[in-house]
Amino acid sequence: MAEPIIKLDNVWRTYKLGKTELHALRGLSLEIFPGDFVAIMGSSGSGKSTLLNIIGCLDSPTKGKVYLKGKDISAMSESQLSQFRGKILGFVFQEFNLLSNLTAIENVMLPMIFQGTPQEKRKERAKEILVSVDLEDRIFHEPGELSGGERQRVAIARAFANSPEVIIADEPTGNLDSITGKKIMEVLTDFHKKEGKTVIVVTHDAKIADYAEKIINIQDGKIIKDHSTAKEYLWKD
Amino acid sequence: MEGLKEYFNIAVRNIRTRSLRSFLTILGIVIGVFLIISLLSLSEGLKSTINQQLQAMGGEMVMVMPGSDEDLLTSMMFGGAKLQKEDMEAIKKAEGVDKVLGFSYTGAIARFEKESKQIAIGGYDPWKEGLDILSIFQGWSLSDGRWPTKGNELLIGSQVAAEIFSKEVKAGSEMVIKGRKFKVAGVLNSLGSKQDDSMIYMDMSIYQDITGEKRGTAAYAMVKLEDGMNENAVAENIEEALKETRKRRSGTDEADFSVITSEKMGAIAGNILGVIQIVIFGFAGIAIIVGGIGITNSMFTSVRERTKEIGIMKAIGAKNSAILLIFLFEAGIVGLIGGIGGTLLGSMLAKGIELYGQVHPLFYFTASINIGLIVFGLVFSFIVGCVSGVLPARAAAKLKPVEALRRYE
Repeated sequence: MAEPIIKLDNVWRTYKLGKTELHALRGLSLEIFPGDFVAIMGSSGSGKSTLLNIIGCLDSPTKGKVYLKGKDISAMSESQLSQFRGKILGFVFQEFNLLSNLTAIENVMLPMIFQGTPQEKRKERAKEILVSVDLEDRIFHEPGELSGGERQRVAIARAFANSPEVIIADEPTGNLDSITGKKIMEVLTDFHKKEGKTVIVVTHDAKIADYAEKIINIQDGKIIKDHSTAKEYLWKD
Repeated sequence: MEGLKEYFNIAVRNIRTRSLRSFLTILGIVIGVFLIISLLSLSEGLKSTINQQLQAMGGEMVMVMPGSDEDLLTSMMFGGAKLQKEDMEAIKKAEGVDKVLGFSYTGAIARFEKESKQIAIGGYDPWKEGLDILSIFQGWSLSDGRWPTKGNELLIGSQVAAEIFSKEVKAGSEMVIKGRKFKVAGVLNSLGSKQDDSMIYMDMSIYQDITGEKRGTAAYAMVKLEDGMNENAVAENIEEALKETRKRRSGTDEADFSVITSEKMGAIAGNILGVIQIVIFGFAGIAIIVGGIGITNSMFTSVRERTKEIGIMKAIGAKNSAILLIFLFEAGIVGLIGGIGGTLLGSMLAKGIELYGQVHPLFYFTASINIGLIVFGLVFSFIVGCVSGVLPARAAAKLKPVEALRRYE
């Protein structure tokens, strides 16, 4: 059996709010394997975003271990972790999180700059990805000149920039209408199917979760259901 | 290197995005650097003016001036106290003194061919002998005309002849000063100091007639030494002699005069300039600190505003060092642009003063701007920018990605 690409072992994440301790994650363990398409579901306050941050190495656990490609991330320095994160993981956020003063192509090139990719190669790759998400006419537009769907496609292109092994998407369709949302999910599904890469989507929308092959349900910081599905596109008009 | 170039570009883009705030921050630095450059160039100009004056004074003369060493600059610039008749007598009698030349000066309106100008006039005593001393020891020479022989004849400086009046004043011309008619006997070659070149020289007794100054007095005295005498020794003799006259006059031997050798003059001028430059550095330092605080303030605001942006960059792989460099570049560029603006304005002011001084010979102040000063202004402002940006840049680099992303949600 393949090694898990992401492994959480008895992970706790506790926030201190004054004198009160809030356990966002309570001894959570899970394994995600290369090529998985996983949906993390849960209601507001269930701990799903905290879990996503831990999986994405954006936050560290209060207790427990997180392994990314078999490496214990707690043993890495912040800079090593940034570099590792930029290479292995690609993020898609609900609010797109593009840099407003950079054009679409510059936004897509940014993760490559941080990985030290040479300029020519960066440009070529960024153009190629933007074309693949149907944004060839929007390459030199700034986010303010793009629609919500276009912005999210730029964000996806940015997430693909360094050919990461895992795409982590936090409510990627949350700010989009259903038709645009569907297109975005199709792009992610394509990436997963064609390139065999891992996709992890956090959502509270069952329709979005239906794209996944595996669903993790979270409640009060614990996994309550973890079952595999063999669903194809269930969200059909 | 590739990364540096890109971080630089991102920093430039950020500055342009926040153009109004960047402009205001830059303005703070512009003012600081402008002050540094303009004040330093003016003090350099002052230094060269004083050096010119010292060179014009020559090395084999001793000057005696009223007022103590401490307020020498005041008495030189604004006049005031005068050497009295008995002081002049005492100087003449001091051992080692060959000849004493009394000199007074003031401003007066001079008319030449229907054109009237405010001009500095000076009187020498003794008139004829004094001119001999000046021609031998101070290198006075004529470019036109002859040495004056009569009381109502004038000698004019080269600037008076060529630049002060719209028409050139030649030897033989008539000039009216304070209602009295004079004839220009000769025009002097440049004496190496703009102040001296812009004066009209006349017999002291006539000078005192038309200005109403007391006879026998002088603003200062130039002393020619007897052959083979040491200037410091003669200066001491003169001091002793003057102290005696003071004792007789007011019962004290407190010195309210200064006996200055060229060596001492150089030292005094050096001290004065030193103080001036310390004051200038003080003012300019305060200005640049204020400008630097402006950058720090602006950068901290920027870090707060862009917390999420920092979080995004970290999420997509930016190391702490990348964030640090972007913010440092931003602060450095703001500093550098401010430096360019300040240096440009400061140089323009200095050049303006220099040009004004050339057009208006009575305006003695000059400014000196050189490449070294410009390079200093630019490098200094870039460093101030970077130093001011260190704290905000470190604060930005230390932000945890998850906190940065969450902060404005």
